[in-house]
Amino acid sequence: MNRLTKKLTDLKDKNKKALVAYLVAGDPDIETTLHLMKLFVEAGVDVLEIGVPFTDPIAEGPIIQKAHDRALKQDVSLSSIFKMIKKFRVDDKQTPLVLMGYLNTFLSHKNLIEDNEDSAIDSILVVDIPGELNLADYGIENKNVNTISLISPTTNKDRIKSIAKNSSGFVYYVTLRGVTGASNLNINEVSKNIEEIKKYAFVPTLAGFGIKSPEDAKLLSECSDGVIIGSSLVKMIEENSQSKEFDRISKYITEIKQAIS
Amino acid sequence: MKPNKQSLPDKNGFFGDYGGKFVPETLMYALEQLEETYLNLKDDDDFKKQFYKDLSEFVGRPSPLYFAERLTDYYGTGSIWLKREDLNHTGAHKINNTIGQILLAKHMGKKRIIAETGAGQHGVATATVAARLGLECHIYMGAEDVERQSLNVYRIKLLGAQVHKVDSGSATLKDALNEALRDWVTNVDDTYYIIGSVTGPHPYPMIVRDFNSVVGEELISQSKELFNKMPDAIVACVGGGSNAMGAFYPFINIAGTRLIGVEAGGEGVETGEHAAPLNDGSPGVLHGALSYLMQDDSGQVKSTKSVSAGLDYPGVGPEHSWLKDSGRAEYVAVSDDAALKAFHQVSEFEGIIPALETAHAFAYLDTLMKGFDSNSNIVVNVSGRGDKDINTVAEIDGIKF
Ligand SMILES: Cc1ncc(COP(=O)(O)O)c(C=O)c1O
Repeated sequence: MNRLTKKLTDLKDKNKKALVAYLVAGDPDIETTLHLMKLFVEAGVDVLEIGVPFTDPIAEGPIIQKAHDRALKQDVSLSSIFKMIKKFRVDDKQTPLVLMGYLNTFLSHKNLIEDNEDSAIDSILVVDIPGELNLADYGIENKNVNTISLISPTTNKDRIKSIAKNSSGFVYYVTLRGVTGASNLNINEVSKNIEEIKKYAFVPTLAGFGIKSPEDAKLLSECSDGVIIGSSLVKMIEENSQSKEFDRISKYITEIKQAIS
Repeated sequence: MKPNKQSLPDKNGFFGDYGGKFVPETLMYALEQLEETYLNLKDDDDFKKQFYKDLSEFVGRPSPLYFAERLTDYYGTGSIWLKREDLNHTGAHKINNTIGQILLAKHMGKKRIIAETGAGQHGVATATVAARLGLECHIYMGAEDVERQSLNVYRIKLLGAQVHKVDSGSATLKDALNEALRDWVTNVDDTYYIIGSVTGPHPYPMIVRDFNSVVGEELISQSKELFNKMPDAIVACVGGGSNAMGAFYPFINIAGTRLIGVEAGGEGVETGEHAAPLNDGSPGVLHGALSYLMQDDSGQVKSTKSVSAGLDYPGVGPEHSWLKDSGRAEYVAVSDDAALKAFHQVSEFEGIIPALETAHAFAYLDTLMKGFDSNSNIVVNVSGRGDKDINTVAEIDGIKF
């Protein structure tokens, strides 16, 4: 079974919520990302979401945009990311890995996804394709790599139905109108919409985009199957990338994990 | 494949292989709403009446088709005609689109208008129509363009709109578009995004083309009237491609008229330092559409180089990609130097100072006119006037005010 599917099923069986953490590959450099991936897992992250840097990340707020820019200065591409993951997999064969990025970078590396050597990755999330379509429609295909689709507060019922049915990894509910790192959460709207999604989805529904604290995470975990943390982690990575002292990040992850348990 | 102008885009927004809606999910609903509104209104008599009334009374349409006598003499063959979009209110073709889109915004009850701009002409045209309706207006502009198009920045402010300087990425048009899309994702409920060219996700390439097509429609009747046949060629500069698309579209099924788009060759296409995706790019996805794109092997978008802010864009409208592949239109590029030379030449020969963007179309006449006999009629789409570029050209010529 796909590692992501298995992980989410196990958590559900134990009545636990999933913690997904995002970082940008190559921010501030590939070695540090590799180190942070391990540190995230040790601190309690269930699923790693690896941002693939792109020159024009239209769904990202300023914090993650800058991380993409830093990674691009290191010439990070999908092929160097696969090399990094190969190293990660030497010690960690369990943690599900999701690649999150923009269609154009995936289109340029179709073969890497098709091969997915040694089942390095488990899932792909493309921010800028309509959710009712499949990556296969764009010639990106691998039966063992599932796809994560986004549903947002503006998605209407018909689309919720077709997108939810079409998601094979999990449904990513974007909790707000805005870019990553924004802060206009409306919990009532979120929980109502997730209820609607759950009527149709075959897979769990996780919530992400506006989570800035253990309190936010707790609130959102109560109406979903888990939470995705992005900008707040990327900001800490930026602040600590000179010293490379990341204890603060471990502590933050542990706090979130406790808040959603 | 025989291109049929009535049939495209298809219902998913594709022109052949190109186009589509590649946007974050939050915007899908807004695009559907926009498409529905547009399809309902576009053939509505009241809507059309209002659109053409505004074009006539506020913009000053129709724009003349003017015989360029001295340029014609200079080349010594054929007749060169100028479609005078530079005479429109606000000084470029961009107003045709904003007049139409603001009517859509009004119909949809949107209270806030946003737009991106490169040369500032679309920013001015958007701020102008927003002012007319008393709507809040925000214009995104790359920091580099704020610098080189400072006159237009001030015009936008005079019109009551706010200019947001964009420092991210290459700080030009592409980054202004990124920022406008981010604003739209955030404020999608009350905001209308007036995109400035035939770019972006469906239905924008179709909407912007249709509103600009008034240019090509006028050209058909003016050609009949002035030289009693259809032009042998229409030449237009291509940034995102709206002035070219507006002139080309009504001619797609008129086989005898060559359609020629001129891209920004920057330092020369062979140097890689340019903004000519149709000449030196490959299909890719940027700003919601699949189209020719300047990109590297990893799918990263390359930075562009052009003396002209309005052409300094790594992508191009999807319908142009389709016209290129289908062979219906030809796309060439001219360098900064050639465009600057044409800028001076047209000013001196015709008493018309063209925009630097437009100067690219003029520059191609050097090559093009060699292939025509004296009975032929060549139309240059004069997309805008050059007042905004005086500082840039003066600086290049070493002049300080
Ligand atoms: C005068 C003028 N011509 C042409 C352009 C290029 O745009 P498009 O290719 O959409 O006509 C611009 C853009 O700013 C412009 O101001």
